[in-house]
Amino acid sequence: MTDTKTWARVKSPWVLHFNSGACNGCDIEIVALLTPKYDVERFGIKLEPSPRHADVLLVTGAVTQQCAERLKRVYDQMPQPKFVVAIGACACSGGVFEGNYNVLGGVDKVLPVSAYIPGCPPRPEAIIDGVVKLLNAINPPKKKKELAEAPKEAPKPEVAPVEEVKQ
Amino acid sequence: MIDLWLIFRILVFPGFTFILFLTLFCDWVERKLEARIQNRVGPMVAGPGGILQPLADFIKLLTKEDIEPRDTKKLVFRYAPLAAFSIMMFAMCFLPIDGASVISTGGFSGDLIIILAFATIANFLLFMAGWASANPYGTIGSARVLTQFLGYDIPLYLLALTPAFIAGSIQIATIASSFPYILLAPWAFILFIITMQAELEKDPFDVPHSESEVVGGLETEYTGAKLAFLHLTRDVQVVFGSALVVELFLGGPNGPVFFGLDWLFYTLWFVLKLLIVVVISEYITTVVARLRIDQVLTGNWKILLPAALLSLIAAVALATWVYHPFGIGMAVGV
Amino acid sequence: MSNAADMINLLESKFGDRIQIKQGTLEAGAIIANNGLHYDVLKAMIEADEKTGITAITGLDLGDKLGVYYHVHTAKPFFTIKAEVPKADPKIKTVVDIHPGALFHELEVTDLLGVVFVGNELQGHFVLSENWPDGVYPLRKDVDATKVQLVPTPEREANKNAEGRQVKIIIGPQHPALLEPEKFSVTVDGEIVTKVEPRIGYVHRGIEKTAESRSYLKDTYLVERVCGICNPIHAYAFVSTVEKILKPAVPERAEYLRVIALELNRLHSHLLTLGHAGLEIGYETLFQYFWRDREPIMDLIELTSGNRVYGSLITVGGVRRDLNPEHIPKIKSVLEDFRKKMPFYRKLYQEEPTLRLRMKDVGVLTREDALKLSVVGPVARGSGVDMDIRKTQPYSAYDEIPFKQIVYTEGDTWARMNVRMDEVEESINIIEYAVDHLPSGPVRVEVPRSVPEGEAVSSVEAPRGELFYYVKSNGTDMPERVKIRTPTFANIPSFLKTAIGESIADVPSNFVSLDPCFSCTDR
Repeated sequence: MTDTKTWARVKSPWVLHFNSGACNGCDIEIVALLTPKYDVERFGIKLEPSPRHADVLLVTGAVTQQCAERLKRVYDQMPQPKFVVAIGACACSGGVFEGNYNVLGGVDKVLPVSAYIPGCPPRPEAIIDGVVKLLNAINPPKKKKELAEAPKEAPKPEVAPVEEVKQ
Repeated sequence: MIDLWLIFRILVFPGFTFILFLTLFCDWVERKLEARIQNRVGPMVAGPGGILQPLADFIKLLTKEDIEPRDTKKLVFRYAPLAAFSIMMFAMCFLPIDGASVISTGGFSGDLIIILAFATIANFLLFMAGWASANPYGTIGSARVLTQFLGYDIPLYLLALTPAFIAGSIQIATIASSFPYILLAPWAFILFIITMQAELEKDPFDVPHSESEVVGGLETEYTGAKLAFLHLTRDVQVVFGSALVVELFLGGPNGPVFFGLDWLFYTLWFVLKLLIVVVISEYITTVVARLRIDQVLTGNWKILLPAALLSLIAAVALATWVYHPFGIGMAVGV
Repeated sequence: MSNAADMINLLESKFGDRIQIKQGTLEAGAIIANNGLHYDVLKAMIEADEKTGITAITGLDLGDKLGVYYHVHTAKPFFTIKAEVPKADPKIKTVVDIHPGALFHELEVTDLLGVVFVGNELQGHFVLSENWPDGVYPLRKDVDATKVQLVPTPEREANKNAEGRQVKIIIGPQHPALLEPEKFSVTVDGEIVTKVEPRIGYVHRGIEKTAESRSYLKDTYLVERVCGICNPIHAYAFVSTVEKILKPAVPERAEYLRVIALELNRLHSHLLTLGHAGLEIGYETLFQYFWRDREPIMDLIELTSGNRVYGSLITVGGVRRDLNPEHIPKIKSVLEDFRKKMPFYRKLYQEEPTLRLRMKDVGVLTREDALKLSVVGPVARGSGVDMDIRKTQPYSAYDEIPFKQIVYTEGDTWARMNVRMDEVEESINIIEYAVDHLPSGPVRVEVPRSVPEGEAVSSVEAPRGELFYYVKSNGTDMPERVKIRTPTFANIPSFLKTAIGESIADVPSNFVSLDPCFSCTDR
């Protein structure tokens, strides 16, 4: 059943977009994802209006003082399991506005971030690439699983074995 | 005495499981059609051609954390979505899908009225679901749902009774097997499709779901399993509404049968006609904008209701003086 | 009166020696009027010319005094009224009663510099956040804004219901209708809106203050990022202001390339709005179609400048890269394809019944209100005010390129959208003309790093309206003060007026017809 749960979560990631003080560049590239040329509905991604319905929070913008509290609130309103994706140079680290008086400088000052997509603004292809990488990290495709589990001939380290702690 | 055959019919085919999968399939058809009209592709990754996408959405919602805000009315908040879904499923069981309905083989006189009443109750439960969530958007959204469906129920009943009057029976199975009433009352068919759009809250009557004004509408505060059932209820309503059109106007599951496999071919004809209606409805949804609430209400009380009355009068007049003397349109065995 | 000399004569005859008029600087001239005389001067100018309005109010720190500069536009000439108040007691008379459009400008100067406008006092904060301490003004030179101690957020009056049967609905900061965060508290009585209270400042990144500590070249990149949608026009406005002080000989070819970049930007911005309007009224299909057709334009922007959104093409002294002649056929073919699609979209906007039902007679702004509130751009041109900076004060190569000014008189949402639709056609014409008549030559001249002392203003026509820049330089390689007045900042007060008395369901459609860009508003 675990596999079905993970499969369902990965095939149907609903996103909520929050602008925490961005210049709009990243936002129009995110909205462009829904349009015919890029069409992320292929991946099952839907843009949801309410935080309660969403799984992934897409944050753009170097977080301004006014938005910081609201951002935390919106994150808290989302049900588990949830992920945060920071899109754009400003969301990753503050971008051009790093050090300004009204700017916190990056989403990870407020929320735990699962994926960073740099760029000013990142192209829609880059955003799709980032989201797909996040989805693959949650539910690795079968091929990669086999490769990861293939036995390797690793040299044994010359240290005393650690006592297994009984759970 | 446990009638295993009846249990199989209720739970698997053509009952619960079949209707559930039919609902998910129709959801996929809607999404793909909307995507293609908009020059896009639609769901592609979940299963071949994205056909498992609605199932993935449903399972994902079931596995999400269920948040109950502090100020909600607990009983209604918890059980209204499930209750609405159950009533809609129950109403679906009255419709003859494979030639006979699930509940009782030939139906009973008056089951048309009963299922319309069930649909109204389900809508009312949805209203209560939104009202019980302590959220201003939920309150406004559910108030709009109430205003809309209460208003449009009246022309809905009148137009649903049009083929009933011509047939002289209010038993769905009888109406379905008499005549495809779209040929005898095409104006009622068109008006019924429009009223169905309003009952199902699809564009241009999409007001309760208008994201730009009421955010999530009545669903705003719901998460997890309850949201899954709210979405499913809405999808079952779409199937129910289209199935009603099929039964009343397009002759139900009747059609040519081969190899004596009447249940198989009746089901196939039913599904085919259902898909045609779903496609028409979704097409209308995609190519128009959304009307304002006051325009929706004006459309109902000033345009649709008089039109429905006139349609009923015209149908009865035609039936009495044109169809019945020539022996067409009357229900078999009445 | 459309002549600067007439206005100057009128003012001199009325006020004599109490004011000083310096001609030849800051466009038509600077009028130094202290001790409350600015009010009378402005009143005289408004009475003389109905098209007078305040474009911006710049506050700046002059050491022991605070300068309050009123930038006034009339039918054609552009004046600046300079007033000064002592830092210890910065009180000055408000002009909101004679010109309501000055409201937001005064509030912002109060918030950022501490000037008190008697008659228009600010409660709380306007642009700064709620947990900013009182009495600390970021734009003053003696304040190091990064070392400010924030106070805890005051208790929020959570969804306090208005009196009686009125309900307060909060739109934003996270809302599917808005791409950007701003809060609008809409008070409704049933379904009719009675009041709209905005709270801006969610996107305030302190760009004006930051610009003072970066060189002019770096500022071009910073100032571009005020808004991602209209970024070349910000870069151009800043660059053109600096060039008015430096006066380099910008090559002709560079001016034409600038026009091409600016018009491509106008194309993509208008298509964005036209599609977004569809999303607001529930017309998703329209949104998808418009944005599908916007993609070839983005490809063109990438072709000419190297990046889809931030081209960074315009710099002081010219443009950074030349147009490859091999790209010209591609540009022309994309524009030609687009021009063929215009009749379909025009027919849609003119004749589609559900769209007309949602847009006609919604958010009507009369011509007098448009003039009193000093709205700009398509909002003004949709209400019959023929104000297009490209025609009234031509800049760059616009005086050599023929194009029409689009004016509609209905003043509703539908008119504003049609203005943008027609401007799309005009932009296609302008780009084709510019590409056909591209002069040869260099594209850039060398400019010195430090800019001599001086000040200049510049007004350009952004897709959303008039964009205004004021730059004061002090001889170093960093500007002394950069003031940005964006078109949405001027247009929001009109929304506060047009939303009242209409249904709450019209609020999204009305709002999107303004084409709001909050990152421009807050800077």
